[in-house]
Amino acid sequence: MPEMDRRSLLKMGAAAIAGTVIGNGVTLYTSPARAEEGGGPPGAAATNALEIPSKGKARWGMVIDNNKCTAQCTACTAACRTENNVPLFGDERYDGHWIRKVTLTPERGGPEKHLPLLCNHCDQPPCQHVCPVAATFTRHDGIVMIDKHRCIGCRYCMIACPYKARTFVFKETSEWTNKDVPKRAHGVVEKCTFCAHLIDQGKIPACVEACNKSGEGAMIFGDLNNPGSAIVKYIRAVATKGIREDLGLEPKVSYTGI
Amino acid sequence: MANIKTKFTVIEGNSAGYWLLVAVLGLLSLGGFWSSYMMFLHGHYMTGMTNAIPWGFPIVMAVYLIGLSAGSLVLSALSSVFGRTEFKPLARISALLAALLLIGALMCIILDWGRPDRILVPFYSMNPRSMFSLNGMLYSTYIGICFVYLWAMFNHKEKLVKLLGFTAVFWAVLVHSGTGAIFGFVGARELYHSPLLPPSFIAAALSSGTALMILVLYATFKFTGRQLDDGLIRRLGLYLAVFIAVVAYLVFIENVTRSYWPGNYAVQKFLLLFGNKYSLIFWIGMIGCGLLFPFIILANPATGKSIGWILVASALVVIGVLAERYIIVIPGQVMPMEMFPGYHIAGPFQDGRMIDYYLSPMEILFGAGITAFVFFLYALSLKFFEMTPDKAAGESGN
Repeated sequence: MPEMDRRSLLKMGAAAIAGTVIGNGVTLYTSPARAEEGGGPPGAAATNALEIPSKGKARWGMVIDNNKCTAQCTACTAACRTENNVPLFGDERYDGHWIRKVTLTPERGGPEKHLPLLCNHCDQPPCQHVCPVAATFTRHDGIVMIDKHRCIGCRYCMIACPYKARTFVFKETSEWTNKDVPKRAHGVVEKCTFCAHLIDQGKIPACVEACNKSGEGAMIFGDLNNPGSAIVKYIRAVATKGIREDLGLEPKVSYTGI
Repeated sequence: MANIKTKFTVIEGNSAGYWLLVAVLGLLSLGGFWSSYMMFLHGHYMTGMTNAIPWGFPIVMAVYLIGLSAGSLVLSALSSVFGRTEFKPLARISALLAALLLIGALMCIILDWGRPDRILVPFYSMNPRSMFSLNGMLYSTYIGICFVYLWAMFNHKEKLVKLLGFTAVFWAVLVHSGTGAIFGFVGARELYHSPLLPPSFIAAALSSGTALMILVLYATFKFTGRQLDDGLIRRLGLYLAVFIAVVAYLVFIENVTRSYWPGNYAVQKFLLLFGNKYSLIFWIGMIGCGLLFPFIILANPATGKSIGWILVASALVVIGVLAERYIIVIPGQVMPMEMFPGYHIAGPFQDGRMIDYYLSPMEILFGAGITAFVFFLYALSLKFFEMTPDKAAGESGN
């Protein structure tokens, strides 16, 4: 639980007056006032609660502070596997990856970078454009999802995605520890959902929670439509960049320091 | 020209050889269906496909069969649309083959889905922005046009035949442009993203379709003891040479364009020089078998007039265009996508590495089985419908 300062208390009061209730145990969260006071870039604050969208609809996005992300840490990927039962078959050809850690080595030499890759939930999602049966769709809050009951398993979306964010279920798996997410059957494509099932309960995605708790606190998740949200403040204060922005897909995940 | 009356008959189809052929094709088809059932039952790990190479040999076969189909249909329309009446005896066979090949192509696509049991979903859930969705509509209407066209030919409705022949050619161009666009429109992959893919798909469709028709016609007439005029084969051989030249031009332009710009050096080095089996398939299969050797055979006056050599050239083209389809579908996935220019990337999703694709026995059985099914239906159709002319005379129409 973040330390309450005057601002967040005020905001909380305002939200309460507006009658915004999003569920049990949900606390409001604002970025630490540190940024405004100290003048440095605001950091990600450890919280497991989701910000309430200010007004109108939310547009969930993520910023990853690549300078904090370390080589050994696997908090986000492990949490994702647990939360979404993403299977490992012990064969890199078929392993599912909703979020994965990669190492970048500059071609002209220099220090390595480590960062997680996940679905960028593009505003212009090529996977959705190419899906022949409209099984991939964008939720009203900008999350790109797959209707697994409609997916025919043609894998055109995997061809179209430049981020390799999608994996196909190549064989049957019995892994189903978290019953909050649907059981998977082979023959359809899957990918990161930004933990939509958690967002709908007013919680933040499992990877972000894990990064805050046992990782380096490198991930900020929030509403890109809310000018008061921590993520928007961060993006305004620090230079961030999406992967392959030149492709024009308008990804909603961006990075500091790539 | 109207005085040339071609009599179409059914083939006898009683010989031991005929039934042996039907049995072998039927068994192979069953093998193909079994392999697709295994893929459906146990998952696609039974194939050579992986998360990095999600499209394997079934897609290669689908694209290949679509091309053969479009090429056959254009030949069928030569008589009705372009007034080349000497080809009228072939109109029914080629329209039939066009329909059957496209049915085969659709089967390749659908049986390769992870969930082929969801066959009805595309009928009620469409996405007009998806080239797959649009092509689904194009393919199914195309099969319909082929059958109505055949029906009109059977009932001697000449005006309708002309109209449908024209529609069919137009549709064949659409169908194949659409197929090229499945790959050409993908901006994420350097080897796919090209506006030249739709036209070069059509050109390769014409060359492979013509080559297949030469082989099928020759085999059908030889097998049933009918008279096929050498002039007809020679004329088709001439068309084949022209189509090969067009394909060669487009392939040349595409590769020269890509090779010129430094940003593409890595991709082109991989495809043309150091891609091991992919470079071999490119040069020996696609360029050698598909373009160079058959063109030399057909353009050389000593061999270009010989029926035997024309058959050799046609067989080479049929193999070479399969290699071309392989080169279009597979290396575009083997080459890693550039996600972070200026960095080497390493990760658990086979990141930043060439991912090899191994053609699995399951996929070979799948491709061979569905191709066999096409010719299984073809052999049976000849027996039950009046498809085959009693004779086909070549130059008489001129």
